[in-house]
Amino acid sequence: MRATVLRTQTTAVARRPGRLILTGLAILVASFVVFGTVLVQQITERTVRDNLSGTPAVTDLVIGSTDVPPPTVTDVRQIRAVPGVAEAVARVATGVSIGEGYLNLQSDPGTGPLSTVRVIEGTYPDQPGEIAVTPRTAERLGLSVGTTTSGTGGELTTPAPLTVTGVVDTAADAGYDAYAPENAVIAWARLTAVERVDVRVAPGTTAEVVRQRVTAAVTGQPIRTGAEVREAEANAAAEQVGRLFILVAMFVSIAVAAAALVVTSTFRIVFAQRMRQLALLRAVGASRGTLVGALTAEGALTGLVAGVVGVASALTLGYALPAILRATGHAVSSPGLPLAAAVTVVIGAVVITVLAVLAPALSAARVSPLEALRTASTTAGRRGIGALRLASGLFMAVGAILAAAATISQLPEPDQSNYDPVMPLLLLVGSGTLAFFALVALGPLLLRPVLAVVGWPLRQLGPLGRMSVGGIGGAPRRAAAVSVVVALGATLISGVVIGGASLQVLADREMALSAPSDFEVIGNGGTLPPAVVRRAEAARGALARVVPYRKVDDATLLRGADKLGDVESGYPTSDLDLAALPSTGDLDVAQGSLADRGPGRIVLNSWVARDTGLRAGDTATLAVATRRVDVRVVAVLPGDGPLHTGILTDPADLDRLGVPAAYTGLLADAAGTGEDGRTAGVRALRQAIGGSDGVGLAVLADERDRNDALVRTLVWIAVGLVSLTVLIAVVGVGSTTALSVVERVRESGLLRAIGLSRTGLRTMLTVESGLYGLVGATIGLVLGVPYAWLAVQALGIEAPLTAPLLPLAGLFVVLVGLTALAGVLPARRASRVSPVVALGADN
Amino acid sequence: MTTHAPPQTTHAAVAAVDLVKVYGSGETAVRALDVVSVGFGRAEFTAIMGSSGSGKSTLMHCLAGLDTATSGRVLLGGTELTGQSDRTLTRVRRERIGFVFQSFNLLPQLTAAQNITLPLDLAGRQPDAELLAHLVRVLGLGDRLNHRPSELSGGQQQRVALARALVARPEVVFADEPTGNLDSRSGAEVLTILRDSVRDLGQTVVMVTHDPIAAAYADRVVLLADGRLAGEIDKPNQVSVTDALRDLAARA
Repeated sequence: MRATVLRTQTTAVARRPGRLILTGLAILVASFVVFGTVLVQQITERTVRDNLSGTPAVTDLVIGSTDVPPPTVTDVRQIRAVPGVAEAVARVATGVSIGEGYLNLQSDPGTGPLSTVRVIEGTYPDQPGEIAVTPRTAERLGLSVGTTTSGTGGELTTPAPLTVTGVVDTAADAGYDAYAPENAVIAWARLTAVERVDVRVAPGTTAEVVRQRVTAAVTGQPIRTGAEVREAEANAAAEQVGRLFILVAMFVSIAVAAAALVVTSTFRIVFAQRMRQLALLRAVGASRGTLVGALTAEGALTGLVAGVVGVASALTLGYALPAILRATGHAVSSPGLPLAAAVTVVIGAVVITVLAVLAPALSAARVSPLEALRTASTTAGRRGIGALRLASGLFMAVGAILAAAATISQLPEPDQSNYDPVMPLLLLVGSGTLAFFALVALGPLLLRPVLAVVGWPLRQLGPLGRMSVGGIGGAPRRAAAVSVVVALGATLISGVVIGGASLQVLADREMALSAPSDFEVIGNGGTLPPAVVRRAEAARGALARVVPYRKVDDATLLRGADKLGDVESGYPTSDLDLAALPSTGDLDVAQGSLADRGPGRIVLNSWVARDTGLRAGDTATLAVATRRVDVRVVAVLPGDGPLHTGILTDPADLDRLGVPAAYTGLLADAAGTGEDGRTAGVRALRQAIGGSDGVGLAVLADERDRNDALVRTLVWIAVGLVSLTVLIAVVGVGSTTALSVVERVRESGLLRAIGLSRTGLRTMLTVESGLYGLVGATIGLVLGVPYAWLAVQALGIEAPLTAPLLPLAGLFVVLVGLTALAGVLPARRASRVSPVVALGADN
Repeated sequence: MTTHAPPQTTHAAVAAVDLVKVYGSGETAVRALDVVSVGFGRAEFTAIMGSSGSGKSTLMHCLAGLDTATSGRVLLGGTELTGQSDRTLTRVRRERIGFVFQSFNLLPQLTAAQNITLPLDLAGRQPDAELLAHLVRVLGLGDRLNHRPSELSGGQQQRVALARALVARPEVVFADEPTGNLDSRSGAEVLTILRDSVRDLGQTVVMVTHDPIAAAYADRVVLLADGRLAGEIDKPNQVSVTDALRDLAARA
């Protein structure tokens, strides 16, 4: 009996392998994603290792490490004299100030296997005072071949000339890199020690022998083999990759959970279609246990096939993609063949599918044998949910609310310094998880109210809309199961979008303060010659705006005769015109308003406000040396001030305080965009500075770009990972629509018979599919936005709450569009069936 | 009784002219309809009878624009249905034809009232309130309108299906074994309603059945055997129908 029952189910599967794939599609995608992640991690790690630009591969020994005093110049000489040493290269880097800029001067032999640079113009330096620079450095600092500048660095305190003899290509180009042979660097900068010494052993000698000789020659210096150093460098890089993939694994496991939910719901549909057949088996004597066994076995088979196909396709893609990328000139390594991981993924797929199939199998096996005798068309899906499910759902909902309330009670106060975000964040994650499971349990009850709201406009559009909404509402359990998965995806993505937007605002604020403009020109300790400001202001073509300012570091705040605050030396105070720069024009404030600035009024940063106890609206006396001015605080910033200014004043007040009229610095923005605009701006400012002594130029934009890119990259990575869940949700909607189309073929036939056109039927089924997305996206946004806000608050980074309406609306539209798209193919198939065939079909 | 009825195509509500329907091709081809010409008069209740495989359902499907014939013509009123596009046929079904099926075929997610007005909804038309009220009263559905099909008995479901077929005042109502799934009392109710709709509302009804009791409600019976017309009976009763069927079986 048992074997017969099993056979009835498995032959049905074997007869329609397409149906099996459809049922297990979510698991297939999940297996693909999981195994794909394993492969991508391998590809990334291997690529990082293979393309490491650290110690050259031919290095045999490395002498010196950061843990002990560095090798001295004498040590280098002694190491070079050791028999068996073919080449010894000292590595050392020193910072060089060259008037308006900065250079990182590094030692490199310039030729030979241990060199890391390649000359592309001019010649490599060989005398002290000669350097080679990278292309970007040459461009930025105007250091073309033949140029001579002067600077100080290392132990050299009086400026000495530096002549550029060549341009070199390197693995990384920061825009301030210079190279010279070690002797030239050591001699020019008067160095006595180097960072480490790389040694190449002569042929015919073993590294071990040389190592012993070197140990005898220089005492106290640790010696590692080149392989060890390279391995350590690779591991450090790979460790970063590994840390990133821990985060990836978290998102992937959410996707797997979503897949399990989708599979549960698809099996429920598949078994519902077979109700009559199962009832018949029960009627002729199959026990419940036998049915459960047979249905679970079918689940296991589905999981096995889906897992194997998923892993195989991931493997195919994992090998094909790097090969294709390599063919197009990208350095990407191929992954290995992680057999154990593959087997684990397949087993995992089977286990998860069996677990997912248990609930539908148990409820399907409860079918009454009488059901076999009933007419098929009258059995509608169950609407409500059981008492146990209701109770546990409510229980979890209450838990979620309590955990959220606990999170809110632990949110940090403004400026709270001892805030620890771990506990509130954990509570929040717990609350979110509980809320999601409550949603799974209570979904069928929530579906109809949500549908009533979001389906209202559709119902007004005519009978098609009404029938689509009715079709979804008629099977609330199924609709809820699918919509919940869409909701999970929508929650995660909206969370990432909001978190990203908040982070962006925070980063923008930080950058507006530390890098309010593209360039900054400062007089080192003194003032800017008026000619510099005049020439900069004249360079309209290259500079969009030039904002000079004065800054003093010794302003204090008094009330009456009493000095406010604990700071001895006073606060950095500036008359920078906030309105003149776009980045500072719309700074957000903690108190007061920036619009109220003017003579006799000041703006404080949060630290000065805290230190002096002043708030917006308070009055105080601003003092520099013996001069005093009465001022009112009009605003307090949420963090630091631009250029790390503590007090922002009006220029008139600085005049009254006796501060000299000469500017101490200027901020400027490039007129053009991109690298070209920036280079033009740098050139213009360098010309403006001319030969003025002690005037420095900083390119703040580079740092800002790096930060922007970092935030953007993080958000995109997060969106990409979260999209996995959305992908599975869309797959779930697709397979649900496909299966429900099969199930409702008679219904389609009837509608066609009584006058629904082919297009009408197609539209109706597609709209139904989109409705799953509409309901899911609505629930997802309703949950996701508050949770994201709470999470941003709980992080304690004082980021503002943002509601990026446009991205969220876009997300909503895309989700609904994708789910509707998932229904297009099944809808087309349903509309092609002739009404006669459809009406005659046996359910 | 004649073996070849004269085609009454000119004034018929719906008529078939030399209709041929072949399923499959080559050796396995089956001629479900083998040159059938027959007309169905206005405000007349006609039953199509025949054994299983006689082609009676195929004839109905072709007459109703659900299926396309291999050759021959179908005329609904004066309209040629043969060779029309799916779009046209869909509109014809929606606006000019009503259906009653053996297995009721109500939409489970709609209430009885919504099921009744579904064809009109699809056409974007408002139901004739007077006719709707009349049908609901006659069919005894007054207290069942807000129930869903799963909450109705078989007889009630079929009466909802009848109301759905009649409410749009179609030119022809096609009923495919409408009593096949009902007990004899519910079946009798349904047949009485069909006959009354012909008598009171001037409705044209074409019913496929193999049940002589059901056929006895009709004004006329058309007999089919092996895809050909095999005679007809005017003013049939249970005895004359049973005799005719026995004759057909004997000839086969």
